Amino acid sequence: MTVEPAPTTLRRPRVSVASVLFVLAGVALVAFPLLRPGDQYHQTVLILIFVLGVMATGWNVIAGFTGYVSLGQSAFLGLGAYTVGLLTRVVHVSPFLLAPLGGIVAALVAALLGSTIMRTREHAYVIITIAFLFLMQAIGLNAPRFTGGSNGVTLPLPPWGLNIGNMPFYYSLLALMLLSTLMTWWIRRTKFGMGLVAIREDEDKAAAIGVRTSVYKVLATVASGVLIGVAGGIYAYFLTFIDPRGMFDILVSVQIVLATLVGGLGTIWGPVLGAFLVVPMNEVTNGLVAAQGVHLFVFGLVLMAVVMFLPRGIIPTVRGWLERRRASAVAFERRQSVPRVVELSAPVRSTAERSSARGGDGAPLLEVDGLVKRFGGITAVDGCSFAVPEGGLTGLIGPNGSGKTTVFNLISGMMRANAGSIRFAGEAIETLQPWDRAYRGLGRTFQSTRLFPRLTVMENVVAPLRRFQWRLLPADAVSGPEARRALELLDFVGLADFGPQPAWRLSFGQKKLVELAQLLMLEPRLILLDEPAGGINPGLIERISETIRALNKQGLTFVIVEHNMPMVLELCDSMLVMASGRVIAEGSPDAVQSNPLVLDAYLGEDWNRDAALEGAQG
Amino acid sequence: MTLLVQTLILGLLIGGVYALFASGLTLVFGVMGIVNVAHPAFLVLAGLFTYELWSRLGIDPLLLTLVTTPVMFLVGWLVYKGLVSRVRSSSASMSVVLTFGLAIMLEGAMGMTWKNVFRSVTPPYFNQSFHAGALVVPKAQVFGCGAAVVVLLLLYLLLTRTWMGRAIRSASENPEGAFLVGIDIGTVAALTFAIGTATAGVGGSVMSILYPIFPASQYVWISRTLGIIVLGGMGSLPGAVVGALILGVAETLTATYISTQWSVVVFYVVILAVLLIRPQGLMGSRVRKDVVA
Repeated sequence: MTVEPAPTTLRRPRVSVASVLFVLAGVALVAFPLLRPGDQYHQTVLILIFVLGVMATGWNVIAGFTGYVSLGQSAFLGLGAYTVGLLTRVVHVSPFLLAPLGGIVAALVAALLGSTIMRTREHAYVIITIAFLFLMQAIGLNAPRFTGGSNGVTLPLPPWGLNIGNMPFYYSLLALMLLSTLMTWWIRRTKFGMGLVAIREDEDKAAAIGVRTSVYKVLATVASGVLIGVAGGIYAYFLTFIDPRGMFDILVSVQIVLATLVGGLGTIWGPVLGAFLVVPMNEVTNGLVAAQGVHLFVFGLVLMAVVMFLPRGIIPTVRGWLERRRASAVAFERRQSVPRVVELSAPVRSTAERSSARGGDGAPLLEVDGLVKRFGGITAVDGCSFAVPEGGLTGLIGPNGSGKTTVFNLISGMMRANAGSIRFAGEAIETLQPWDRAYRGLGRTFQSTRLFPRLTVMENVVAPLRRFQWRLLPADAVSGPEARRALELLDFVGLADFGPQPAWRLSFGQKKLVELAQLLMLEPRLILLDEPAGGINPGLIERISETIRALNKQGLTFVIVEHNMPMVLELCDSMLVMASGRVIAEGSPDAVQSNPLVLDAYLGEDWNRDAALEGAQG
Repeated sequence: MTLLVQTLILGLLIGGVYALFASGLTLVFGVMGIVNVAHPAFLVLAGLFTYELWSRLGIDPLLLTLVTTPVMFLVGWLVYKGLVSRVRSSSASMSVVLTFGLAIMLEGAMGMTWKNVFRSVTPPYFNQSFHAGALVVPKAQVFGCGAAVVVLLLLYLLLTRTWMGRAIRSASENPEGAFLVGIDIGTVAALTFAIGTATAGVGGSVMSILYPIFPASQYVWISRTLGIIVLGGMGSLPGAVVGALILGVAETLTATYISTQWSVVVFYVVILAVLLIRPQGLMGSRVRKDVVA
């Protein structure tokens, strides 16, 4: 899978060879039936290509962008076809007028299917979609009173003459394929599309930065199915006969998968290109040998070969070659950014918010009470309670396995606790979804940094959402004030020059800084930092401390899990010490260091605090 | 009342056979996280292979498992080394696409070799029954279930009583940990895949007596076996047995009291319902690796 760079960054003023070829291909497709009106065979092949093109571009939204592979996509074609086929029995209008209803039915069923994947992941989704397709087929076969059963449904013959022939089907399906491609292009450049890609890259992380994944997944399923439903209606009219086995055929689903993979999963034109390759391949293998076995054999072999040898698909592979050729001509300009801390033009949180949040009642910002989390027989968090004051820098330390990261997972909503309560700014949040917690100002980083590897640094930083708004979904992914703010935040962490780089190219320490900048887009009140200094270049540690301190001065509250004792003791104003899933000590860094319980459980008897502080200053 | 008892007994016998069919699938998923959609194609392949040997040599199909099992073990080993091991690094869904490609290719190959006609293996007992009072139980069903019980017991003993079984289970629970204590994960995975496929050897032979076999009949078995492991909890062998027994009975009850046409729908509905309500199934567990990278 590769990421199509956001179209805004892709556009170049010059006319490329590809776009010329593109226009020529378009003109040829439009002109073909006019130039060869009697060539029914090739018109039919092209119609099949267009139908597969519509299905593959639709599938691309759910599988290519969102990362959920479905093997039931052809069910939407069947749903559209059956909607129109059955309606023509009662309503005597042109099936073309009924085709949009096919789209609506497909969209409704897609919404239902999409709501099932709100809770499931990867392999479960594949299985669900297979079952869904078979269920549709079984209903088609077993309810003959409604669906005609295995005898199928016959549609009225087109009223127009032979001189028009297949043209209405040809042009409407061609238009639908272009519309579907345009839709995927548009989706990819919106906030909605970027959220989908974020889900594909790392779903938990996406939820943690405010992407309301459930709504996104439902919408993606609907978007992937709706035009297929319309195409199904037109296709049924073209065939004039439909039956459950042909319309809910898993092999059609597999063709969709193959076409998209061949062309390039997640690219805009890949699925269309794939359709132009797969349908002719089918025609050849079907035509050459009468025995159906050969066709299936070749088909399965090609599918396996593509997964194994061409996993990225043609378009990304070719693009990779071209880029490598270009890259050798233009040396990669790499500027090492000088570490510095710049002042943010706007404070991280507005002063008004800060003063209200710091209202004199002195209530803690975060209160955790009696938290319990069990994994099978292991109790990772066992009655953990603590409170974090607003504006504080609280260190959370303890031996490995004492439950620190699990506590973070419970607070940020990645996991649900078995018992206990979490209050944030006075509100109980333990049952809220991760994104709802993000909207309230709760942000977290991950121990092993979780940026979206194939998005650019800039896209990573603009991905977070401060609230869920329907009208934001179709907005441009990277735009105006947000882009400026993101650039400013990148500058703040000293990585402004890295905006256009894909995130996977960064060093571990740089990733940590970008992840922090990403979180700051949420305008959080509280940030949970999971080992900000773990595994990074010692030169960057001081810089990270400085950044945290600067943000804290602007009113941000931090809870920091860290094993680098000199750093955390010097940075934090209060400490929490965990062991065996609960807090065993708390207090100032000084008090904690001399607490016998802490020395016993974590720091060790030979702990020398003076040496530690010297280390921090040196 | 007799009909109900009869239906329940038949359902349990069918469920036992289903457990055998699904055992390889759940074993492979448990260790590798791969849904091997080609497993039912392996079953059909072993069934047709049994048919071929039986029709040529006249040897009892259940005895032929001594041949089909090692053959399928070898097939599994080769498929793992040649195909599956090469895409281990890509996503779980891509491995489903790969094994689906394999399933389709096998279906095509079987169609070319054995033509698209229904085949049945008909040993002398295939249409005989045991009678106990008013109850009638088909002999083939009893023998099939017996073979399934033997294989499942052997599999269980292998997993719980041998070093190899311990290696497989540890690789399933925690691959990194198993690797650290010196278990060769690659070999364990290949062995698991081969053992999983070998169960399809017995499974196919049993299938050839109980069901008409046809290359495209793999699809109905895809739904059935997936339904079973989803219900039982993917990756759990005891779960597969429980899931198979429940679904065997549910299917037989539906066939008896509603209609045979709708009986297979039970599986689709169970898949959808379980994955919606309790994605970990009856005996699966949710572990921390689900959530943390």
